[in-house]
Amino acid sequence: MGFVVHAFQRTKGSKAMAVVMLCILPFLCSCKAAPLQEKGQKNINPQTVVFLMKEMSTAVIDTMSYLECMDHRIPGSHCIALEEIDKKLPSAFPNKNTLLIFYCESDRCPRAGRAFEKAKQLGYENIYVLEDGLVAWKRAGYEVETIQRVRRSPVISIKSSKIEVLLKEKKDLFILDIRSEDAFEANHLDGAKNIPFYMLHKRLAEIPKNVPVIVIDENGKRSFLACCYLINSGIKDVTRLFGGMETMVHQKRNK
Amino acid sequence: MIKKHLAMTLILFLVFVFFSFDAYAARLNIQCSDCHNSEKFKAGFKHSVHGNTGCTSCHTSFDSLDKHIILREKPKLISCGTCHSEIEKQYRNSFHSLYEDFKCYDCHYDIHTLKPEKESFKVAVTKNCTKCHTNDEYALSGHGAAVMKGNKDSATCSDCHGLHDTKAYHTSGEVYLLEAREFYNKTCKACHSNREMMERNNINPDAVKQYEETYHGKVFDLGYATSVAGCADCHTNHNILPKSNPASTIHPKNLTQNCGKCHSGIHPRFAEYKAHPNYRDKERYPQLYVSFLLMAGLLLVTFVFFWTHTLLWWRKVYWEKHHMEELGVKLESPFTHKEGIQRIKRFSVTDRIMHVLLIISFFGLVITGFPLKYHSTPWARTIIRVLGGAHNAGLYHRIAALILIGLFLYTLWRSFRFAFPKGFRKEGWKGFFARIFGPDSLLPNAQDWRQFKAMVKWFFGKGKPPTFGRWTYWEKFDFLAVFWGMIAIGGSGVTLWAPELASYVYPGWVLNIASIVHSEEALLAALFIFTVHFFNTHLIPSKFPMDTIIFTGSYKLEELWRFRTPEYERLVKEGKLESLKVKHPSITLKIISSMFGHASLWIGLLFTLILLWTFFFA
Repeated sequence: MGFVVHAFQRTKGSKAMAVVMLCILPFLCSCKAAPLQEKGQKNINPQTVVFLMKEMSTAVIDTMSYLECMDHRIPGSHCIALEEIDKKLPSAFPNKNTLLIFYCESDRCPRAGRAFEKAKQLGYENIYVLEDGLVAWKRAGYEVETIQRVRRSPVISIKSSKIEVLLKEKKDLFILDIRSEDAFEANHLDGAKNIPFYMLHKRLAEIPKNVPVIVIDENGKRSFLACCYLINSGIKDVTRLFGGMETMVHQKRNK
Repeated sequence: MIKKHLAMTLILFLVFVFFSFDAYAARLNIQCSDCHNSEKFKAGFKHSVHGNTGCTSCHTSFDSLDKHIILREKPKLISCGTCHSEIEKQYRNSFHSLYEDFKCYDCHYDIHTLKPEKESFKVAVTKNCTKCHTNDEYALSGHGAAVMKGNKDSATCSDCHGLHDTKAYHTSGEVYLLEAREFYNKTCKACHSNREMMERNNINPDAVKQYEETYHGKVFDLGYATSVAGCADCHTNHNILPKSNPASTIHPKNLTQNCGKCHSGIHPRFAEYKAHPNYRDKERYPQLYVSFLLMAGLLLVTFVFFWTHTLLWWRKVYWEKHHMEELGVKLESPFTHKEGIQRIKRFSVTDRIMHVLLIISFFGLVITGFPLKYHSTPWARTIIRVLGGAHNAGLYHRIAALILIGLFLYTLWRSFRFAFPKGFRKEGWKGFFARIFGPDSLLPNAQDWRQFKAMVKWFFGKGKPPTFGRWTYWEKFDFLAVFWGMIAIGGSGVTLWAPELASYVYPGWVLNIASIVHSEEALLAALFIFTVHFFNTHLIPSKFPMDTIIFTGSYKLEELWRFRTPEYERLVKEGKLESLKVKHPSITLKIISSMFGHASLWIGLLFTLILLWTFFFA
C-alpha cells in the first residue's frame, strides 16, 4: 500500500489521481481481522490519511475527549468525542459527502469504530477509520500537535484487589468513573460517580478536593491523563485503577 | 586621491566597528536570565547536566524575540532528539510515547536543574519508575529490594522493561500475549543463564538450562509461549522471592495454589513436581538420577548388543553372498521352479492391517513427538510449523497414541486367546504349557537360546547357519519389546497426558520420571525400529531393499523351506501345508505394498540421519 501512496505523492496536485485513489480506497482497506472493529468498517493507514489530507478536503476527527484531543492529536484534527458525534457532527459538517476519517487513542480503542457506525447512521457516505489510531500514526513516524498540554505528574495505580480492600474498609473515597454513560450503565462499582472524560473539564466542580479520588477508565489507557488533569486542577490525592474496568471484570471472571 | 580613499575607508571601518559593538552590546544586554531570573534558571541551570549549553540550544523555535519579550510568543516545545537522537529513536516506539504521549521531561522531572544521579543508576531508575508504577511487589521485595540494598546485579525496572525503549506490551490488557511472554522470558533468561552472576548471588546457574529441558521449556522454546508456563507464571512478574520466603509463590505451602493456576483440580502432591531439576544431581534428586541412569543404561545395553548383532550378521551374509557369486554357486532346492514359487500364507489379513496401523501410529508419534525432544533444532521447528503448531502436533500425537493403545489392547486380547483358547475349560491346563512354549508361541524358549548361539558361531565362521521355526528369536524380541515399550512409553505418556488426574495416584515428581522415561524410551524405540528392525527385516542383503511379506501376507514355499526348515517340516508332518497355500498376490496389492513399504522405510532412514545429525552437529 505504501508504494501506491508514494506514487501518488510524486504526482502531487493531481485531482484526478485523488479521485482514483478514493475509488480504490475500499480495496486498500486492510483485510487484517481487527478485534475491535465495527461491521463494514473501512480502515486506512496513516500514509493514506496524509495523502488524503494533502489532496482533498478531509475532516480528520479525534474521537477521544476534549482534554485528550487538545493534549495531542493529528495536526489539523477536529475534536469531537464519540459521545458527542450525534450532536456535533451534523453542525460541523453539514455536507454528507464530506470525507471523514475517525481515529482514537490506540490500537485497543473501539471509539473510532463506533464513531464510524454513528456517522453512517447520520447519513455520511465517505467514512474511514485510521487503523490502530494514534499509535499507528506515531509508529509511521508522523508528529502530533499539542494545543494545550496536560502537565504529566506521577500518578500511582492500584490493582483491583486493593480497591476491593479499600471499599470493604469503607474508607472515604471518591470513585470517579470516566467511561461513557453507556459503559457506566452496563457495569460499575458501587458508589462510583460517572463523569465521562469528555465532560471532565466542564464538571470539575463536582469532584471534591479533600478526599482521595480513584479514577476508573475502560482499560487503563486513559485514566493517567485524567488523573494528571485533576492533579493540575488542585486535587492532590489521585490514584487510578490499573488496567481499568476491563481488567477488573476479567479478573473477577477468572476467580 | 589615494589618501582620500584611504580616509573614507577608515571612516567607514570605524563606523562599522562602532555599530557592531553597539549591536553586540545590545544583544548582551538581553539575557534570558534577565527575565527568567529565578534560582532555577540561574544557579540551578548553570550547575545542571545541561549547564554548559545555552538556553537557545534547546529553545530554538522563536519567530521573534521582541514578541517573546512582550509575552506575545511562546517558544515551541523543545526536541531533545536534536542532541539525543539515538535515544529519541528508541523512545518513539516505546509504550510511554505511543500510548501516553510522554515527553522527555515527564520522567526527567525539572529538566532545568537536572543533575547527574548521586546514587547508582539502578537505584535511580527504580525510584523514578516507581513514582508512577507503585508496584509495592517490585519495590519492596525480590529484585527491587535487592537493588535498593545496593546489589549491582539485581534487575531494576529497565533491565526487564527497557529504559527508553519500554515495550508496548501492556500486561493489563491481555493483548500481545505471545510477544510479551517471549520478550520477558528472554529477559529473565539473559541474566539467569549468566553463570558468573548467578554464582555470585548464590542462585542456581543452571536453572535456565534445566527449565529448557522440561515440557514447559521445550514447548516455549518451540515458539508456543502462550501454551505453557514461562518464568513469570510460577515466579510472578514482580513479587519474585526466594523459595524460603513464606510470601513467595514457590514456597512449599503456596506451591499447590501456584500450580493450580493452570492445572486445575490437582491433588496437593502435584506440587512435588520439580520445575527445573538437574537429573545428574543425585543428592537433591535421587529418584530422577536413578531413572535417568537406568534409561541411559537400557539404551546403551540394547544398542550395543543389537548393533553388534546386526553388524556381524550383515558382514556374514554379505561375505557369503560375495563368495557364492565369485564361485558361481547356485543354491540347491528340492522343489521344481513351479513348486518353489508357490505362495504360502504367513500373516492373516488382521495381522497385516494391525501392522499397517502400527506403522501409521508409530510414525505419527515419532514425527509429532521428536520435535519436542529436540526442540531447539531447525528441523523440529519446521515440522511443528508444517503440522500447524504445537497444539496440533500434540493433538495428532494423542490420536496416534490412541491407535497404538488400541492395537496393544487387541494384541493383549489375542495373546490371552492364544493361551486360553475356546474350550480351555474342557481341556484344562493339559496343553497350556505346550502351547505357550510351542512353535506357534512368541514366548522365548530353550530353542531360541540354541539358535542364538548357533547364529553367533556362524557369524564367526564356526558353524552352519541355524534354521528357524515359525518365529525367530529376534522376531520374538520385536514382539515382546513392544510390551515393555507400551508399559514404559504408554504408561508415562498417559501420565503426562493427564497430569492433574495422575496426581491422585502418585506424587508430582513421578511426572519428572515419566518425562525421562517417555523421552528416552521413544528414542530407544525409534532408533531400534529404524536401524535394527529395518536391517533384520529389509536391509539384510538377502532381502534388500525390502521384504513386503507383512503387507502381502505370503512368501514362496522355497523361502519357507530354506529359512524355516523345521517349520516347513512341521507343517508337512501336521498336514497343514496344503491349507496355507494361497494365490500369488495381485499386482494392485504388490504396488500398494511396495509404495507404502518404501515410503515408511525411507522416512525412517531419513529420520535416522536427522537424529544422527542432531546428536553430532546440532
